[in-house]
Amino acid sequence: MSFFNGLFGRKRDSSAELAKQRLLTVLIDDRYKLTPEMMAQLKADLAEVLQRYLPAIDAEQIEVTLSRGEAHDLLKADVPLRRAAEPPSKR
Amino acid sequence: MDGKRLSVSGVIMGRVITVTSGKGGVGKTTTTANLGTALAMRGARVAVVDADIGLRNLDVVMGLENRIVYDLVDVVEGRARLRQALIKDKRLPELCLLPAAQTRDKDAVNAQQMIDLTQQLRAEFDFVLIDSPAGIEAGFRNAIAGADEVIIVTTPEVSAVRDADRIVGLIEAAEKGPASLIINRIKPRLVSRGEMLSVEDVLELLAISLLGIVPEDETIVIATNRGEAAVYDPNSLAGRAYINIAQRLAGEDVPVMAIPDQQGVLDRLLSLFGRRRT
Ligand SMILES: Nc1ncnc2c1ncn2[C@@H]1O[C@H](COP(=O)(O)OP(=O)(O)OP(=O)(O)O)[C@@H](O)[C@H]1O
Ligand SMILES: [Mg+2]
Repeated sequence: MSFFNGLFGRKRDSSAELAKQRLLTVLIDDRYKLTPEMMAQLKADLAEVLQRYLPAIDAEQIEVTLSRGEAHDLLKADVPLRRAAEPPSKR
Repeated sequence: MDGKRLSVSGVIMGRVITVTSGKGGVGKTTTTANLGTALAMRGARVAVVDADIGLRNLDVVMGLENRIVYDLVDVVEGRARLRQALIKDKRLPELCLLPAAQTRDKDAVNAQQMIDLTQQLRAEFDFVLIDSPAGIEAGFRNAIAGADEVIIVTTPEVSAVRDADRIVGLIEAAEKGPASLIINRIKPRLVSRGEMLSVEDVLELLAISLLGIVPEDETIVIATNRGEAAVYDPNSLAGRAYINIAQRLAGEDVPVMAIPDQQGVLDRLLSLFGRRRT
């Protein structure tokens, strides 16, 4: 285990990585009182609103993250759009 | 320059810096003793103040427990003058300790009294370092009441970092910020194995500026047993780390000390190999 960590950088399931991810959740919860349930609801609501304008939105794939910055924290949403298999207007 | 640091006659007075943490046992007292000693070794006039009322500790870490006559509460309540209560260090004449009361509880002083006390101290010293009690209650609030700057000590552990983040928020709210961070008890081998949060991880999580890092080092245990600061042993890693932090605190433009990874030959070969691969 540690052999491979040394070789290939930090594994995703190393205990330090786990600690970091757990802390990220806890700190955001502490500061913004945003529980994982509320975060899931936020994603669902966001998808609903965005789909009114962009039907191509893949609601399942939306990723909402809170991260820390020097001056302020950042709420970031990655919203993947399904690409049409064929460019739509070539007829 | 803020108003508190100008005396009536326009003389610049000392900096009041509180060392705090949230979680207990992460190294506040060790840090206060070592930074105080390192700054005094550089020729600064330094007062270290034990604000952990009821749990006096800084005196034993500095080996001055036999010299205590008066304490902080005696000064605040007017039974002793500041000069009578200050204890001179054994080796460094410019280093003084103001001990905490051992037989009183935290309610024995209030924030305004601490502000008044620090104002008196900053007139006499270049640095006033205050060793805060753990927690976020009255004792902590008193300890930061008179501070210009706050140093947060943490260890690379989930609970310590979480508590440190609470303190970051409280310091901001009290407009004492921005606080700076010392990460203590780093074990480089664990970090390189991915089994301990790295300095970068902690900084990313807390998003405050890094003052310095201190490795886990048995020198701290030995130095504490003897009642001497680890900075007297400049060959020790912890001693060097605290000297580095004192330099940075004094405004010297030096980078944070890198902690050498004291790993075995096999590990080193493996990481060399790994570096070539990636
Ligand atoms: N870098 C280090 N390496 C090894 N031991 C350390 C290190 N830093 C601190 N310690 C040890 O950890 C213990 C707690 O340290 P210290 O008393 O300084 O913490 P504290 O934050 O002041 O605790 P409290 O919250 O109880 O006041 C002590 O036994 C000390 O010797
Ligand atoms: Mg202490």
